Amino acid sequence: MTMKHCFSLLSPRHLLRGFLITWILFLSACGPSAPSETTETVTDNQAAAAPKETITIALIPKKKGLPYFTSCASGAEAAAQELGNVTLIYDGPTDGSPEKQASMIEQYALKGVDVIAVSPNDPDVVAPAMRKAREKGIHVIAWDADAVTDARSYFVNQSTAQAIAYGMVDTMVQDLGGPEIRAQVAIVTAYLTAANQNIWIEHMKTRMADTYPNLELVAIKPSDEDQKMAFKVTQDLMKAYPDIKGFFGISSVSFPGAAEAIKQAGQSGKVMVTGLATPNSMKAYVKDGTVKSVVLWNTAELGYLTVQVGAALAQGTLKAGETTFEAGKLGTKKIEGDHVLLGDILVFTKDNIDQYDF
Amino acid sequence: MDAFEKKTLKARFPSWLVTPESLLIGLSMAFWFIMGKLDHSFLQWEVQRELSTHIWETALMALPMTLIILTGGIDLSIGSIMSLSAVTAGLLHQAGWPMPMGCLAAMVVGMACGWFNGWFITRFKVHPLMITLASMAAFRGIAEGVSQARPLSGFPESFTRMGNDAWLGLPIAGWIFAGSLAMAAWIMHAHRLGRCIHAIGYNEQAARFSGLRVDRMLLGLYTLSGLSAAMAAIMFMARRNTAKADIGAGVELGVITAVVMGGVSIFGGRGTLAGVCLGLFLIHETREFVSWHWSRDELNLLALGVLLILSVVFQQLLGHKQAS
Repeated sequence: MTMKHCFSLLSPRHLLRGFLITWILFLSACGPSAPSETTETVTDNQAAAAPKETITIALIPKKKGLPYFTSCASGAEAAAQELGNVTLIYDGPTDGSPEKQASMIEQYALKGVDVIAVSPNDPDVVAPAMRKAREKGIHVIAWDADAVTDARSYFVNQSTAQAIAYGMVDTMVQDLGGPEIRAQVAIVTAYLTAANQNIWIEHMKTRMADTYPNLELVAIKPSDEDQKMAFKVTQDLMKAYPDIKGFFGISSVSFPGAAEAIKQAGQSGKVMVTGLATPNSMKAYVKDGTVKSVVLWNTAELGYLTVQVGAALAQGTLKAGETTFEAGKLGTKKIEGDHVLLGDILVFTKDNIDQYDF
Repeated sequence: MDAFEKKTLKARFPSWLVTPESLLIGLSMAFWFIMGKLDHSFLQWEVQRELSTHIWETALMALPMTLIILTGGIDLSIGSIMSLSAVTAGLLHQAGWPMPMGCLAAMVVGMACGWFNGWFITRFKVHPLMITLASMAAFRGIAEGVSQARPLSGFPESFTRMGNDAWLGLPIAGWIFAGSLAMAAWIMHAHRLGRCIHAIGYNEQAARFSGLRVDRMLLGLYTLSGLSAAMAAIMFMARRNTAKADIGAGVELGVITAVVMGGVSIFGGRGTLAGVCLGLFLIHETREFVSWHWSRDELNLLALGVLLILSVVFQQLLGHKQAS
């Protein structure tokens, strides 16, 4: 092919012709359509065009395909079915990209759904899209993780920091055999700068000082969100404090790391370990007796509550300033400010862990 | 059999019909028809205009990328340059600089990064793939380092409005792209640079021997690519009100996909800007429509893959014909 030939492909005449054809097609596609066309397609977005008694809720997870969020979605689906007039759209970025999350929010806003519930990956990136959706009159709420506060009306919070921290300490005391047992314990955290973990640690200290004076917190060590490092830190602590009786693994990475160290040291059942993790990641340790209890919240109920809150907002039954919320089969839930609290934590033991799959 | 088919193709249709561009136009038409049938609301002008904000950054970076791929090169570092420029502007804003100055600084950084790529490529005669692969990691590393991977936000209202406002029915980013496209088209057609770019892509040695200033031109192109990445970063910041070291992660793939989809030969020398625009358009519409209609993010990748394979296979058939 000669260079001349190559340029001939570029001639303005061809470009013009191409754009003209495309433009004409666009206009014809944009033109008024026969009503029969829309009735043929039965899709999610049809609900958006339908009268107001049906409510469309878009539920956006941080990342689609994670077992944690899939189990949230199953609860959300259950709520939608129970309410009857709710169409649930569950979609999120498969790669966890915040930019894609923002694009999705924009799309749902354009489609005119009634409620958008987001678990933001990066609150700052999705905030402008959330605000834009609110300007369009759509109810925007955050769930699982909070958004920038002025970009959402409510945050469906799985649990307060206090409930999580107290839950872990209480569980540890129970695993150790009661509040009268004297014991040294240590915390293996994520990073020393991790905001969530640091708040939990403060509440854990308060709980130990106020309610369980027999617990002595001897060390707080970071694992840098690295399971191997959590393993090593736990090993070192067991050497440094031979009488240590309990470990808290307060991130989903440090918990299995600490459990593995205790198991390999042959201390299963003698040194207790508890913390936050999904049941699937801890099942093996629970079955072999290294871990007695795993602390988390009920993810299905979190999804359920989110849909309930969304539907109530769309119907106008949830008004600002209320302090309680009737959440269907979950009963009455507390509202603190603009946080709707799922409340209780869930403790997985070998008796119930098989009922959960996430 | 193969040869026979190609002959008939050539014989039966006028040559302007058997080009990658007409193929893409055909595909777009088919798509629009299907979209209109499946979901009419998608084709509303307002919807299209709002959704178009998702593509302008990729589109802008695709222009210099087209020119670079035409010379037989590639620039993998644009995503990282985007990150670094964004972080520059974000940090300067935090340090109290006015936003226009921060943007200017971001563009300077972007150009410097591009120039750095070009300098290494021309000075040491290393394949651009390797240099830009290395600088992709390096620029991203610098961006992560200087920003400590923190998100930088809270830009002034006047700046973020630029990312969300429209002028004469087109988002401002769209006008920036239109202007850049006009410039790129001028380079390709009216200016002798266009011919030189094709010449380098066909045969770099021959271009050198015939007295073309190949090195200077490559240096210019990579610098331009850096600049476009910086502008894309500013557009992103205005739209999302955030600068972060990972905003450009993976965008180079989207850009290169669009360019290849637009019929530009990855080996250089062959391809048109019109084709790239159509490629961008087709990718954008497919992506948006799939998530609009089915709300399943996993389908998106599948659709994009099918689309790319289809267009590449067709273009391969055409390519043989044209080469012969």
